[in-house]
Amino acid sequence: MHNDIKVMMFTWEFPPRIIGGISPHVYCLSRSLAKNHIKVYVVTCDFPGAPKHEVVEDVEVFRIDSYKTPSPDFASWVYLMNMNMQKEAAAIVNKVGGIDIFHAHDWLVANASIGLKHVFRKPLLATMHSTEIGRRNGLHSDYEKMIHETEAWLTYEAWKIICCSNYMISHVKWAFGLPEDKMVMIPNGVHTKDYEHISNFGLNNFRIKFALPEEKIVLFVGRLVYEKGVHVLINAMPKILEKVNAKFVIVGSGYMKQSLSDLVRNMGLSHKVLFAGFLDDETLRNLQICADVSVVPSLFEPFGIVALEAMAAKSPVVVSDTGGLSEIVEHDVTGVKVYPDNSESLAWGVTRVLLDEKYANLLKENAYKKVKETFNWERISQQTKNVYKAVLSGYSQTFWA
Amino acid sequence: MRVILFSWEFPPRIVGELAGYVRDLALQLVNKKVKTHVVTYHDYLTGESEEKGGLKTYRVTNPVKTHISVLTWVLTLNQEVERAAANIYYGVNKQVDLIDVHDWHFIPAAVTLKKAFNIPFIYSVESLEDHRSRGANSPFNMAIKGIEWLGMFEAQKIVVKSEWMASEATRLYKVSSDKVRVVTPRTHMWIKAILGIYTSLSERRVTNA
Repeated sequence: MHNDIKVMMFTWEFPPRIIGGISPHVYCLSRSLAKNHIKVYVVTCDFPGAPKHEVVEDVEVFRIDSYKTPSPDFASWVYLMNMNMQKEAAAIVNKVGGIDIFHAHDWLVANASIGLKHVFRKPLLATMHSTEIGRRNGLHSDYEKMIHETEAWLTYEAWKIICCSNYMISHVKWAFGLPEDKMVMIPNGVHTKDYEHISNFGLNNFRIKFALPEEKIVLFVGRLVYEKGVHVLINAMPKILEKVNAKFVIVGSGYMKQSLSDLVRNMGLSHKVLFAGFLDDETLRNLQICADVSVVPSLFEPFGIVALEAMAAKSPVVVSDTGGLSEIVEHDVTGVKVYPDNSESLAWGVTRVLLDEKYANLLKENAYKKVKETFNWERISQQTKNVYKAVLSGYSQTFWA
Repeated sequence: MRVILFSWEFPPRIVGELAGYVRDLALQLVNKKVKTHVVTYHDYLTGESEEKGGLKTYRVTNPVKTHISVLTWVLTLNQEVERAAANIYYGVNKQVDLIDVHDWHFIPAAVTLKKAFNIPFIYSVESLEDHRSRGANSPFNMAIKGIEWLGMFEAQKIVVKSEWMASEATRLYKVSSDKVRVVTPRTHMWIKAILGIYTSLSERRVTNA
């Protein structure tokens, strides 16, 4: 199509660089937008072994020098990385003959995207995946306030703000004092196809690496940080093990890794818990398919993509009734909701699923159907394209056009 | 010829010597019929204003108020400098010949504008991090040195105020000495020398275009 919309997307992570949920989100979003006749240029941080420039399924990816000189702290690194990102992206905009829309993902790319908005006078959109005030449950230092104000700056400069759940819409609106008409809710998505091609025979050989045949697998996937509530799961383990023989597999890494494994050891549960660390996509998907129950015990959760992934993998889910998780899961229909930050409640939910196979199967089937209908990327890319079109039509009326 | 000067201090906001120097330079340029804009920082006197003699000043404030260091403060301020410069650029039909950036603070903006608009820039050195924090090599100092290096690397010319600073710039940042020009401030040759450098850059730009 000759009149494709050209979008430059900024993200600090893009595969093979994966730190959290933004990387898979931008990967899937850009790919599905490309299928929907949007020309997407992704500008992201470099990664060892990944090319500086490549075309991934019609998406052009540029990896910039992410500033490897030692920085005083993480936030300073982010701003310095943005300095490089902006400099390189400015040259790329000219090289590709202009851009129609800039689209930023989180404060981590705020500076670069805001600067280029004004330099090239093109509209800026921002997807807010999370907030500092939510992650930290308040603002306790100048460092946290600075990040919060950077987020506020991005939402101020953005023409539209996309959030992945109604919970995040109201949270972001509250956190930055934004008008409702600036916000758009577009859910996150998952590809059910990614979980389809695995044979049962291979899975049994695979499963044995993580748990004994007689043990049920209870799976946690996420960063090992406070707001993900892994400690709530660990405190629920003795109660669960009273009723069911299970192995708890914990996938991911984070600053709480040491204190969590100390907690497990002090509770005498080392033989029942496997800290699997960070896993590649294929191993993780197989593990999600094998899991007898997938647990998402978050205290703060803007969306909760791991719950969707588990649903796509036909693993029954037990989630804490908070944030985006509350909207994804319908209690007793597509999963089990438990009280957040409550080990008793979590233990109840997990044992209920593990002890009643008929109930677990019903949840799985309903959840899979729900994922296919609501959280598919074709639908999400169409909704995103509609936002682009609306913004461009508004833009054509301004003196920047 | 149209020039934009970047400086983090400019009267009435005076931190050190740079504010007075940039003001004198700007007024002299206006005298010599150079269309001169200054982009600078002020807490609350923001926006465009015209000073005596036709000097145009554009003051911006920091969109992020809470900071942990002058480094982070500078890095979020640069986008406002870019916004101001872009407003000047589009307001004058894109006829900006060069940017003269004074000290390290607004080098990131000058570099981005060079890549975006193909406007050459001069890095005018008042002082260097190595002299301000002698011997300090913490990540904080290294980050500022990294920005100074970027300015040395990307600038078309580096203007210093003494032979000593010229040798320091070449020693510390390994820039070739023919990229460095020494101009002693406030002598009778001062503005003539600056104008000579400005003209050589803007003429080369026309030839390259």
